[in-house]
Amino acid sequence: MFGEIFGAWIAVFLTLAIFSFLYKDNPFYKIAEHTFVGISAGYWMSMFFWTQIQPNLFGRLWPSTHYSDGFWYGIYNIFGMISSSIFPAGGIDKGHDMHLIYLIPFALGIMMLLSLFDKLSWLARWGIAYTVGMAAGLRAYGYLNSNVLGQIKGTIIPLADPNLPFFSLLEASHFNNLVILVGTVTGLLYFFFSKEHTGAFGKVTRVGIYFLMISFGASFGFAVMGRISLLIGRFVELITYSGAEYHHASIWILVIMVALLGYSAYKEKGNPEAEV
Amino acid sequence: MKFIIDLILKLGTVDRRWIFLIIGLVVILPLYFPMGLPIRATNTTQQVYNTIDALPAGSKILLSCEYGPSTKPEIHPMVLSLMRHLFKNGHKIYVTCLWPDGQFLAEEALDLVGGEEYGLTYGEDYVLLGFRPGGEAVIKGIVSDLRKVYTIDVRGTKVTEIPMMEGIHRFEDFDFLFSASAGYPGTIEWVQYAVDPTNIPMSTGTTSIQVNEVMPYVAAGQVQGIIAGMPGAAEYEALIGVPGNATMGMDAQSIAHLVIVIFIVLGNIGYFIERNRSKKY
Repeated sequence: MFGEIFGAWIAVFLTLAIFSFLYKDNPFYKIAEHTFVGISAGYWMSMFFWTQIQPNLFGRLWPSTHYSDGFWYGIYNIFGMISSSIFPAGGIDKGHDMHLIYLIPFALGIMMLLSLFDKLSWLARWGIAYTVGMAAGLRAYGYLNSNVLGQIKGTIIPLADPNLPFFSLLEASHFNNLVILVGTVTGLLYFFFSKEHTGAFGKVTRVGIYFLMISFGASFGFAVMGRISLLIGRFVELITYSGAEYHHASIWILVIMVALLGYSAYKEKGNPEAEV
Repeated sequence: MKFIIDLILKLGTVDRRWIFLIIGLVVILPLYFPMGLPIRATNTTQQVYNTIDALPAGSKILLSCEYGPSTKPEIHPMVLSLMRHLFKNGHKIYVTCLWPDGQFLAEEALDLVGGEEYGLTYGEDYVLLGFRPGGEAVIKGIVSDLRKVYTIDVRGTKVTEIPMMEGIHRFEDFDFLFSASAGYPGTIEWVQYAVDPTNIPMSTGTTSIQVNEVMPYVAAGQVQGIIAGMPGAAEYEALIGVPGNATMGMDAQSIAHLVIVIFIVLGNIGYFIERNRSKKY
């Protein structure tokens, strides 16, 4: 229970510290910001290591199923003396067979870390080159298949289907299909820059701009909705933690923070050059 | 009239911190004094519900959690509702995470819904395979050979020893995919690398900010419906008949939007008045 209450006080402090930036930049905000950056980096690194590097890389290079007294596991045992949690005795038991080909990504990964040293930083390019090449190839296929072909297929819609009503606000209709057709064509033409956007062509591309503006408006509306949702989420927790079972954490921290910021503002008033 | 115009112009010069305070108040007050504004399921949410409802009992559902604490208020309620719907219909849930933070949130949701509410057994009714770094490379791995990417689950149990993993080797062994996504990698990558090449049906739940980006895939039939942000989660809660955090936040959401719209309208009126005045002089 103590852990839960302590966690609540930490959560309340960090939430209010971040909110305090709305008043102005201040030490509470800076503490929360730096804590967030540090903890995020540590958490991500630890997750990446224990979910991928240790089980899927080391687990394939030194699996327990192939453990022997030979040279290869001799190296492993030396690593094991440095950290027995990463390299436990008898090999790593994560369900893998031995795949020495994983020495290549292991080497590329080490080469990327060498970018920290000026004289050897050129070696990092090999790892980066592999990543860029792999990602480019992988994405080219995905985008071509889903975003080009799939989306074109999605816009091929019947304009004279007798089963469809002429107008329906939410369901498929002739009117909605016409809007999709006009929006797609004029939107695409707006990005055709080989011809000047004047005359009849300019009027068509202007329709395209209107469609784009409606899309931006919808994006803005959704963005506002998302931010308000997150605010609601924080407020719900602050309300929960203001209860007696958490020793009124939200109220105490809010009062102390407002008092300290108010005192700081009062002191600043007498000394306009002072910065928080 | 002059008084109103002066007031609108004066509002334009008000310190932005007052705006923050007003927004804060209009969000917090409905949380203390709920009004119970009606919630009606939109077509896209209904489509997700109908798609899941049509799955035969005992279907194998891959649920991918791509969100973290920062987007928990939007995504977590929909994950909870979805799990309730899936377990109620007797499906088996396999959870993967493309975001590291998604793992502990998924664990929390599974413990609550699968363990506490439905009393189901880990490894037989649901399993948390967990996070693997690599984004789309992980998706490609799951599509070609899941067991190369996941040899153990989050509890360290070998997948070969988990009863419900029997017969699961690749993405096509699942009957349905749901991506609870807050960004990259997420819904779009699942469509590109898993759903389009295999034709396994998929639905999604996303943050509000992502909706416009994902909606073309829904319109084109590549994704079977979308639960759009907190309102979508509230709609899904209404559809399954279990109100939760999303429903609780909807009054605040509606009022806050109304106030923001009023600010935008006033701001625009002020802008046009000032523009007309500057033209005159």
